[in-house]
Amino acid sequence: MNKFYYLQAIKGLRRNPSRTLLTTLGIVIGIATVILVLSAGAGFKSYINAQIEEFGSNTVTIETRIPASTKQRAQGAEGGDTAGVAVPITTLKKRDVVDIARLPNIAGVYGASIGQAISVYRDVSKNAFLFGADASRFAIDRGVITKGRAYSEQEDRALAQVAVLGNDIAQSFFGEEDPIGKTIRIGALNFEVVGVYARRGSGGFSNDDEQIFIPASTLQRKILGTDYYFYLVASLVDNTRSQVTKLSMEDVLRQNHQVVDPVKDDFVIKTQDENLSTFNTILSATTFLLIAIATISLIVGGVGVMNIMYVVVTERISEVGLKKALGAKNRDILYEFLYEAIILTLLGGILGIILGTFLSFVVAQVANAFGFAWKFSVPLIGIVISVGVSTAIGVIFGVFPARNAARLSPIEALRYEP
Amino acid sequence: MALIEIKKVDKIYNNEGVATSALHDINLTINEGEFVAIMGPSGSGKSTLMHILGFLDRPTNGEYLFEGKNTEKFDDEKLADIRNRRIGFVFQSFNLLPRTSVLDNVALPLLYSKNLKNQEERAKEALASVGLAHRVNFMSNQISGGQKQRVAIARALVNNPAVIFADEPTGNLDSKSGTVVMGILQRLNNEGKTIILVTHDRTTAEHADRIITIRDGEINTDEKVHNKHIAKEVKIDE
Ligand SMILES: Nc1ncnc2c1ncn2[C@@H]1O[C@H](COP(=O)(O)OP(=O)(O)OP(=O)(O)O)[C@@H](O)[C@H]1O
Ligand SMILES: [Mg+2]
Repeated sequence: MNKFYYLQAIKGLRRNPSRTLLTTLGIVIGIATVILVLSAGAGFKSYINAQIEEFGSNTVTIETRIPASTKQRAQGAEGGDTAGVAVPITTLKKRDVVDIARLPNIAGVYGASIGQAISVYRDVSKNAFLFGADASRFAIDRGVITKGRAYSEQEDRALAQVAVLGNDIAQSFFGEEDPIGKTIRIGALNFEVVGVYARRGSGGFSNDDEQIFIPASTLQRKILGTDYYFYLVASLVDNTRSQVTKLSMEDVLRQNHQVVDPVKDDFVIKTQDENLSTFNTILSATTFLLIAIATISLIVGGVGVMNIMYVVVTERISEVGLKKALGAKNRDILYEFLYEAIILTLLGGILGIILGTFLSFVVAQVANAFGFAWKFSVPLIGIVISVGVSTAIGVIFGVFPARNAARLSPIEALRYEP
Repeated sequence: MALIEIKKVDKIYNNEGVATSALHDINLTINEGEFVAIMGPSGSGKSTLMHILGFLDRPTNGEYLFEGKNTEKFDDEKLADIRNRRIGFVFQSFNLLPRTSVLDNVALPLLYSKNLKNQEERAKEALASVGLAHRVNFMSNQISGGQKQRVAIARALVNNPAVIFADEPTGNLDSKSGTVVMGILQRLNNEGKTIILVTHDRTTAEHADRIITIRDGEINTDEKVHNKHIAKEVKIDE
């Protein structure tokens, strides 16, 4: 660092406030955008990963599907699809769960139904989501019960009115009070709270923390007045044999549902790998998109900086001529511009990192406020690349025109008309 | 003693294959302490000659001896050094740095001498000698045209050069400010500085001791001034 050039550069920057401002702004925006984009990308990935985690490993899901023929009649469309809420398929029964549980390579299996009912404890009333699951779910799901216990197989069979609460809903009902053994009202029935989950905080597709977990049979018979599941989840002993297991599960279900032609299947089985592949497609598409956006913003920012640098250096050629007339050497001119460019890009770089980090933080906060498990992080690689590229652009395009100007004879520079 | 001596100097501008002869076969000697005015109609080559004499440009042909030394082999660095220490320039359009204080403008040549000592003192001294001690901290756009030209003269003086080149220094000034500028140049000449003034105005030229007229790039006449105008150095300013 040479004090002389440093001072000259500072004076030069003060003498050209609009250039200083515009160039800095260009760099700040370029760097902030790249950091924001990459940070948001990392946050989105963390969210997707949390979703994948939620599925648990080694699991297979059995969802209902509108059989092709029915659907063709209903919509005139071809092929089958996962059943929406609109046309319920009522064929997944307890018998399916029992039969699948007997298959080889099955570690556990449960069925789940979903409902909704006004739930009340004292003066707190909530329209709560009811998650009715077989007791076998507790061995498969990753949720941790921190207070009390899970409900049992016997309670499930006996249509017992017992409930395990998600952490948030337990908090809204009971606050500091101990919920275990207390009675809450769900719809028209009284339930005993037997357990409370630890906070999962995942958000996303469904918020477990806001749900009430009760035995599937209790939900079906006593609240919904039905006898079918919405979907089943099985966990495998060995995930590498998932395709074989899937085939035998299909056999069982077809037999139970009296389906002969696979086209008329009223279910669809998805292994963990098949579920993950959807996520992985989303992830790699997202990554690709983010890299594209980051590259474009760097190019746009870079071209902006390049233009400003080029224009202002050109505008200052007569100043170069004057300085040369007063005795500045080519080297002096070059170094003055170089120091200016370095100071500008450093300043813009620091401000850009601060702004980008701040915006990324805000995005993460907003995402979390909406219930997404979104981790705030600023990828170092983003900082390195964006600062590196913008510094290179700033210095190269700040110095190249200056070098050409420095090489002009003093009178050519003095007379130069931009 | 000869400060400047040029022999058979030509200047041919070459723009995209079009050659323009601006100076042809110029022979000229200027001694230390002289006050010379270069006159001639517009386009005759006055500025071109001054730029060559001041090392802002190089001749196409010919020889240039400065302070007795042949300058043909001098590189850019050496020429920058001569411009910095031996020569001061005053231009018609002042050429002050914008958004820069009067003091910093005057100190600029000292910066390029890498002479970081007493800069402020010397710049203030130079400003005092042109009657602008009270404008030291003004910005370059906060002073009048006449004052700007005096700042430019202070800047030309600050490194104590041997010669000052002034190209139409009064061209953008009213007559009163012009007289002040000419008075300062005459005083500097009396103090021993060589002054080379370019002008197309005869009255202005007659403030010098010698007038060289140029026509179509060649020296037409070169004669002493008999009834030299003295610009009484009026109590400058305020
Ligand atoms: N860069 C250049 N390229 C081509 N021709 C040039 C260039 N600079 C000057 N000339 C030509 O050289 C000649 C002399 O120009 P110069 O500027 O020296 O004239 P001048 O006597 O100073 O005129 P003025 O009184 O108008 O300032 C002119 O014919 C001009 O057109
Ligand atoms: Mg001229």
